[in-house]
Amino acid sequence: MAAEPARDRLIESNPFVDVATHLFLEDIADKQGASGLNNYLMSLATNLAKSMPEEEYDTWDEFLEALKSGNSILTTFEEVFMPTKNCVVTRRSPFERGWQEYVKRVGSFSRIHEEVAEYYNSAVKPTAINSLHIIHQTFRAAASDRITVGGKRVKYAQVATVWTDGEKKIVPDEWLPVLLQKAGISRTELNMLLRNNADVWLLYTE
Amino acid sequence: MLDVALVSLIQDMSEKAGVDGTIQYWQRVGENLARRIGKEAYMGWPSFNVALREGRTGFSIEGDVTPLTDLAITDVDGDVVGYIYALKQCVFVPTILRVRYSVGELPRADRAVAEEYNNSVHDIAVCNFCVIHEKFREEVAKNITIAGQHLESLLLATRGFTGETKISERNLKKLGINPEHVRSLLRNYECVYAIMMKGAKLKGA
Repeated sequence: MAAEPARDRLIESNPFVDVATHLFLEDIADKQGASGLNNYLMSLATNLAKSMPEEEYDTWDEFLEALKSGNSILTTFEEVFMPTKNCVVTRRSPFERGWQEYVKRVGSFSRIHEEVAEYYNSAVKPTAINSLHIIHQTFRAAASDRITVGGKRVKYAQVATVWTDGEKKIVPDEWLPVLLQKAGISRTELNMLLRNNADVWLLYTE
Repeated sequence: MLDVALVSLIQDMSEKAGVDGTIQYWQRVGENLARRIGKEAYMGWPSFNVALREGRTGFSIEGDVTPLTDLAITDVDGDVVGYIYALKQCVFVPTILRVRYSVGELPRADRAVAEEYNNSVHDIAVCNFCVIHEKFREEVAKNITIAGQHLESLLLATRGFTGETKISERNLKKLGINPEHVRSLLRNYECVYAIMMKGAKLKGA
């Protein structure tokens, strides 16, 4: 498919809905606990990805172009740059504005958002800092599954996450060498990227 | 992203819990948000209107609200007991655009939820999000006092993304306002509502 021009980005969130949703999620956690909330968040994100159209690209370069310009479903909600052909870096979390609005209008972010991430880290994979990362990372995994490049399905792996307050979560040490090799960056380069970006992730085909 | 995810859920939710289930879900979302924002108190209408303009009230989470201070609501004694307020742009329009350009189209349930709400609750919804708005404002108003008196919010008119308009005969009748007056406001605003003292005895109502 010929490259499409980039359109105005859809990154800005809706603070009204974001704050309302955070509070609603807290309500779900009160009733169903961290595991119930985790299931809800994962199905929310999977549902979103499934509602978006599938994609196919002939070459990796064509796919990269779509990623960078925001024309791929994977980067509809985030602005990314790619230091290598497989490493993707998100500059700013798409949830940042909603979180800022929450702390401004409601107060400190409820502890349940971290507790559900702890549950996700132990039950699914250890890459989330709060509930929003569960949505984001599940969405990326489900969206990647809807994309093929040269007939092969795209795979996604999270390498590291940084939240707006600076807290970092990097995959366990035993996973890191393999992921960094696939991403084509060194540990030092990863740390450099984590200084002023929100996420470092990986896309590849097998 | 969260807003688009929630919109995607509407279709699924409406198929499983029915459109009335979705209405209840949105009402709980609006109610919950209002409750958690907390209580506010103002000395009088001028300080409330300034707070609203400066984005300091619970209502301000919806974006830039314009207090139409030339449209005061008065009671039987001629005292000002409220004003008309309006949003130039509904806070959900950017979400609708985001859904349009990320998923492709709004789910069919959007229309179905709005129609069910119009039939069973209040004939004012131009899209499913109006359900959250109305409930949210009603609940926020309960948490605010002006000169010690509690407030109530009445949704008066809405204009949707496609130009469809709805005017609440029920609420306009309460206030004694001519529908044509509100219709002209919809040329410049997408959502018009009243905030007034709860239980005020209105002139001409």
